Amino acid sequence: MSKEVLQELSKLLPAGRLLTAAAALSPYQSDALTAFKAKPLAVALPESAGEVIETVRWCAKHQIPFVARGSGTSLSGGSLPIDGGLVIGLNRLNRILKLDPKERVAVVEPGVVNLDVSKAAAPFGLYYAPDPSSQPVSTIGGNLAFNSGGAHCLKYGMTSNHVLGAKVVLPTGEVVELGGESLENTGPDWLGLFVGSEGLMGVALEIKLRLLPKPEKYHTVLAAYDSLEKAGSAVAMVVASGLLPGAMEIMDSLAIEAAEAAVQAGYPQDAKALLIVELEGETLEVEAEARHLSEVIEASRAYKVQIARNEAERAKIWKGRKAAFSAVGRLSPDYIVQDGVVPRSKLGQALSEIEKLSLRYGLRVANVFHAGDGNLHPLILYDGRVPGELERGEELAGEILKLCVALGGSITGEHGVGMEKKRYLPAMFAEADIELMRKIRQSVDPHELSNRGKMFPGGEAEALVRQGLHPLEKRGVISRE
Amino acid sequence: MVIKTPTIPEIQEAVKAQPRLLCRAGGSKQALSGADGSVTLDVSGLSGVLEYQAGEFVFTALAGTPLLEIEKMLSEKGQYLPFDPPLADAGATLGGTVAAGLSGPMRWRYGGVRDFILGVKFVDGEGSLVRGGGRVVKNAAGFDLPKLMVGSLGRLGVLVELSFKVFPAPQATRTLRVAFGRLEEALEACLRLAASAIELYALDFEPPAGLALRLGGLEKALEERSRRLWSFLGKDGELLEGEREARYWRGINNFGWAGGKPLVKVALTPKKIAGLEAALLHSSNPLPSSTRRYHAAGHLLYMAWDGSWTELDTLLKTQGLAGLVLAGNPLSPALGINSAHPFGERATRALDPQGKFAR
Amino acid sequence: MQHKIPVEKLGPQGETMARAVEQCVHCGFCLPACPTYQVLQEEMDSPRGRIFLMKEVLEGSLKPVDAEPYLDRCLGCLGCVSACPSGVAYGELISSYRMHQEATRRRSPLEKAFRFGIQETLPYPARFRAAALFGSLAKPLGSLLPKKLSAPLELLPSALPAARPLPELYPAEGSRRARVALLAGCAQQVLRPEINWATLRVLAKNGVEVVIPKSQGCCGALSMHTGERARALAFARKNLEAFPSDIDAIITNAAGCGSGIHEYLLLFKGEADFDKAAGFAKQSKDVSVFLSELGLLAPKALHSPVQVAYHDACHLAHAQGVRSEPRSILSSIPGLDLVEISEGDLCCGSAGSYNLEQPEIANTLGRRKAANIVASGARLVATGNIGCITQIEAALKKQSPEFRVLHTLEVLDLAYREILG
Repeated sequence: MSKEVLQELSKLLPAGRLLTAAAALSPYQSDALTAFKAKPLAVALPESAGEVIETVRWCAKHQIPFVARGSGTSLSGGSLPIDGGLVIGLNRLNRILKLDPKERVAVVEPGVVNLDVSKAAAPFGLYYAPDPSSQPVSTIGGNLAFNSGGAHCLKYGMTSNHVLGAKVVLPTGEVVELGGESLENTGPDWLGLFVGSEGLMGVALEIKLRLLPKPEKYHTVLAAYDSLEKAGSAVAMVVASGLLPGAMEIMDSLAIEAAEAAVQAGYPQDAKALLIVELEGETLEVEAEARHLSEVIEASRAYKVQIARNEAERAKIWKGRKAAFSAVGRLSPDYIVQDGVVPRSKLGQALSEIEKLSLRYGLRVANVFHAGDGNLHPLILYDGRVPGELERGEELAGEILKLCVALGGSITGEHGVGMEKKRYLPAMFAEADIELMRKIRQSVDPHELSNRGKMFPGGEAEALVRQGLHPLEKRGVISRE
Repeated sequence: MVIKTPTIPEIQEAVKAQPRLLCRAGGSKQALSGADGSVTLDVSGLSGVLEYQAGEFVFTALAGTPLLEIEKMLSEKGQYLPFDPPLADAGATLGGTVAAGLSGPMRWRYGGVRDFILGVKFVDGEGSLVRGGGRVVKNAAGFDLPKLMVGSLGRLGVLVELSFKVFPAPQATRTLRVAFGRLEEALEACLRLAASAIELYALDFEPPAGLALRLGGLEKALEERSRRLWSFLGKDGELLEGEREARYWRGINNFGWAGGKPLVKVALTPKKIAGLEAALLHSSNPLPSSTRRYHAAGHLLYMAWDGSWTELDTLLKTQGLAGLVLAGNPLSPALGINSAHPFGERATRALDPQGKFAR
Repeated sequence: MQHKIPVEKLGPQGETMARAVEQCVHCGFCLPACPTYQVLQEEMDSPRGRIFLMKEVLEGSLKPVDAEPYLDRCLGCLGCVSACPSGVAYGELISSYRMHQEATRRRSPLEKAFRFGIQETLPYPARFRAAALFGSLAKPLGSLLPKKLSAPLELLPSALPAARPLPELYPAEGSRRARVALLAGCAQQVLRPEINWATLRVLAKNGVEVVIPKSQGCCGALSMHTGERARALAFARKNLEAFPSDIDAIITNAAGCGSGIHEYLLLFKGEADFDKAAGFAKQSKDVSVFLSELGLLAPKALHSPVQVAYHDACHLAHAQGVRSEPRSILSSIPGLDLVEISEGDLCCGSAGSYNLEQPEIANTLGRRKAANIVASGARLVATGNIGCITQIEAALKKQSPEFRVLHTLEVLDLAYREILG
């Protein structure tokens, strides 16, 4: 890379918005999956859509791979820099361009933080529904790229179900409008393809979001169980009862311990499992459903039931749940967050299999999951300083993913494939499936510039600095030399 | 030429062998499946539910499975298709519904067909059998090909198998029809309702100035909720309950109101309604407003049209709208503004490099 | 997070630093809580970014001088500590790191002079008073001076209040319920002596006898937070000697001093007199905490209702976890309507001597805080730290000059004296 080429880029950006010094680049080396690190060529911090377009065109012209990122909270390494590539930091594009309470649409820039959309909509009695645990931090652009989920996906779906349209710069530098402001469209759902494509097909510049009226009433129940199985079957019972809660979450004892230490949510410390069920909607309906729900919970043999009496108590229950991932950092120097899905009826089976795996590998596993969706988040605790633990942890993580697929589920419910799971994509899809996806990508991005090296197994640019050898490397199957 | 009831390998063979193909099953959306000189693949025989566990609220069926069969299966377990696809009585199939991208009045509550499709298996333009998505309610692995197929009109591949999530059906429903003096008043009430905490299964605008509102939920709360809805509107209306209510919506969703005239779907936003209604009234061959129906608080219009297609095409363009002809004989089923873009073109080339499904 | 920090080579604070790095999982929950990140939107100006930088410097893969600009910009407000779900002791990390690096750090002559100026004046009330008086006179010349020198002037009031030396003992009213010692605070005595007097009156009214040790000095926080470990230790030791032992608590009424004393546990790590320092830290309490524990004498109802916004001083809320006590003190005044300030967790930009060293960011934060305070609807703001009071007053002066900025204890004192509203 010649100096002149970078010089050319710096002229496209406001002064000081192209970072090249080692100390400025270093903090961009990882996202929220620190097992992967890579040092980018530079970090561009554009302040307008026009500057993003110019930056992408510069990348296209010089065939420099790039990754667009917001707050870098990906748990799958999705916003990991590309070695020698450009990082396009979109945090400064953080304006809410339009908020139309009447039509319930917000048009935002990609760097707008998820929760800020709801904050801006709150005075109108509206909110933005998808609520990944990272919502005070993560940006809409990143949510869109990874089709982020959250605790409240059961009823109203994931990010993809709430994005109406997007203006996108393709990796070739072309700018397109996908979708619109209507809930409906005619013709193929190109927007549906773009959302969740993990940044492999371009950068969203403006995003049209659907806002929902804030539910009039929440009914949040915290039920404690003396076994994980009972909590699991309670979920099945709630679903079978015909109720459609906004969220159903389970935490096991390790996760409870961590969350309690972090935010003092008031969880019963002796519980083997906690179930959070939240009904939401019209007051009259929720009140009627609540009576129904309490019968079900009673029948599920919860030994302690707590119902949030006000918003503060509700917030407290959720705070513990949402802090659970990071809180596990208190229990163990290192851990791997996994994200797999199983059919809901197989939750119990999956959990007992995970427990067996945990014993076999000699590593503790904390479980926090979106039970209503069958979306598991096993957190595998290990100590990276103990030789072999990381490798064992990774192998265990892999086993869990294979288990999910074997049970008819998925290798990822909401964190995406990114860097972390690309080698497991073939466990879920046949060669022809992956081949077609790759063809679509190459057709849109012929030089594979946009977030190169992610999602697809193998391929080029797996230039990573990792902690220790990958299990496959150790067995001599792959090599990164 | 029509290839009748092919098996999946036969579909793959046909795609490889034929230069141009058109797929059809129930034939309920005649404008999208009418013979156009290509070889027609009649996949109506590709029918049947492959997997359904009521406890999972997920099913997988072959693309040619009639909606009626699926609705029956679900209702036996107290479940339903929340996107409420139209034309079930006319023989519409699951695959046709996805390919045409059609949802009905109740899509207002939880979303349209794109929001409920989980997985897809299809034969691409090179004859490969490929799969996207999965069979679980949450899945972020790989590109979202299932969504892409919604509204793809068979131009990206031949759908053979589809997985959906479903929801528990409301224990009881009732409907309130309210008439307003003027279109603006009805629309204003519609927008107010849409932004309110009142949760409706259907929120339809019936031109010239009516609303049809469908409430659903637990039987015991419904009475009080209806009263609340009434007082929110500050207006009386006609209450539909029981069998009569079900028949009413069934009729709506089978387009009986279109009087057998050519039918068009238009995607729009509420603010475009007034302009569109005015333009339609001033068109050269205006139909009565009872031959139009706006679902989902004005985001989805189904309308009958008896005039020239060129005129409607221009009219929609002027309004900045795009439409899709479902019944009738236009030159092309796509009307109004052209939304082609390089992203779509590039992706289409990957799925169908030789243009076998192009029309 | 994994690291290769050579713990054993880094002295008594090595383990503390390594542990903090280990606990960080880089989840990013600290980003919205970090004032510099909010202003600059760059990773290296975020807590987790700084953790990466410190880690690499400590590991030896990054030159300290390269990381300096970003680490210097940290306010030390500890907003990130409150936000961190993983329990990273960021405050201990950055303080230890600064102390560790300062020894070998090269500074320009101007920088040295400036820092020397701060270190040699702020902690000494008499010197600070003289300098501040001079500064007040020099205020009109501000526009002629370089930014670095004009910024401190902006914070100064146009006239200094008269010096009002404190007595050595302030007796309790009525029967004595407790006996405490007061740490008078350095800058506070000069900029607003009224705070200490209000504190004394309030404590007395509540039956508390207060000793004000004459030989006390700066708590050392300012030196510690700027990496001057030896100086901080000297200050702290002076206080260990100065304060009597026959007391129920050591009272601080400036959040910065209070949190500084609580950091003696870190400062004295590896020192022979660690236990003594730890005991001292354990005994010290913010005045609001002490009063809440003691049980407050209820003030009479106000003549007319007053709206008061409460500003969380970072060194109270984030560093000492004191949030509810000042609020309940204010709420106990009948007729006082307590309102919250949006973005309340965000630093006002004062942060010890930060507004002197990084005036641009400090000013941006000050303006942001002032706007949020104004938006609260109140026309009086209460807080528990002299630094915040000075910073907020300066920022509000430009937006809403009619605003009053008072210490929580001043508000209570006025209520007791029935002259608040």
